[in-house]
Amino acid sequence: MSIINYASREIQFKIVYYGPALCGKTTNLQYIHQRINAQNRGELISLATSADRTLFFDFLPLNAVVIKGFVTKFQLYTVPGQVIYNATRQLVLRSVDGVVFVADSQWEKMEENVESFKNLADNLAAQNMSIDEVPLVLEYNKRDLPNVAPVTYLEYVLNNRKKRLQSFEVISSTGQNVFATLNAVSQILLHKFSNQDEVPQTVPQPRVAIPVEAPTAQPQPIDAEV
Amino acid sequence: MSSVPALTIEDVARLDGVLEAFLNKTEAEMTVVIDRGGNVISQFGQMDSTDVTVIAALAAGSFGATRELARRIGEMEFNALYHQGNGSHIFMNSVDEDTIMITVFGSRTTVGLVRFYSSSAAQRVAEILESLRQKKPPKLAVAPVSTGPVFATR
Repeated sequence: MSIINYASREIQFKIVYYGPALCGKTTNLQYIHQRINAQNRGELISLATSADRTLFFDFLPLNAVVIKGFVTKFQLYTVPGQVIYNATRQLVLRSVDGVVFVADSQWEKMEENVESFKNLADNLAAQNMSIDEVPLVLEYNKRDLPNVAPVTYLEYVLNNRKKRLQSFEVISSTGQNVFATLNAVSQILLHKFSNQDEVPQTVPQPRVAIPVEAPTAQPQPIDAEV
Repeated sequence: MSSVPALTIEDVARLDGVLEAFLNKTEAEMTVVIDRGGNVISQFGQMDSTDVTVIAALAAGSFGATRELARRIGEMEFNALYHQGNGSHIFMNSVDEDTIMITVFGSRTTVGLVRFYSSSAAQRVAEILESLRQKKPPKLAVAPVSTGPVFATR
């Protein structure tokens, strides 16, 4: 939950990058850390195993001036994607203000994507938050790989809820649409924070439009409830 | 129990009063009150604000992780943790079920003194935070948020 400090003129928000193991959550933060001005960011902290798998979380603090007279601090976290670390994911999700769900676009990762998305919904529900209410955007990562599912399929599987989410085709290793994703979730949470129901039209739209037509091959969702 | 959404200048002054008195008694270097999500609620003492943000995130994680350890031996959680370094140390204690107090101290004081005074300081902080949770939050006096991109690349 955001914290407003009128004495230091600071507002804090927490954004969590969530998704299955090896989907590229840490790579997102690494790219943001590389590309953002040094005066607007802190140190990237990674609590990882010797094999560079996230053990606890990655953490990157960012500052922005988006509300007049206030320094807005965004705290970016990743969760460990491996299934066994659910207690850690619950811990990192505590007091979250916005979520980027990072899906691995490869066909063989689809079941893990769906499982992780359900796990996100469950863990939010455990702290009395609804996945339909928390600012959330979808990131379809690894679009440069040869064996990726079409975006229409990913939309059908992961974005098939009543409320359609903004989604982005991302290549986190090169940075494609990494900032578009971050800006989208930041805008949504800022507008929720300022009690506005709709994101204004002036907000940059995702470069990849959300397809509205049904996929031609009519693939079945892995789990119809997702 | 819920977290504290807004702190007025008066609220921060009340918290600072408790934290300053605590630092004076213990001769610790810095103390930070955080929520268990890793957000900084209040801080007193000298340290770069970015470092404080990082310490808050790591301390919240550390405290949460040891809760599972505590459960294995029949405790709900450990209500205090101590990390001992060669010259600098960190003592963390639970304020309430949503809040933690972190104290960084060096060789000018001892963990016993910090532990002794942290108990009463945490109790006073808890009372202040509880009163904040009970009162109606102030209307947010901020200008409309920007509608452009929040972050840009170099």
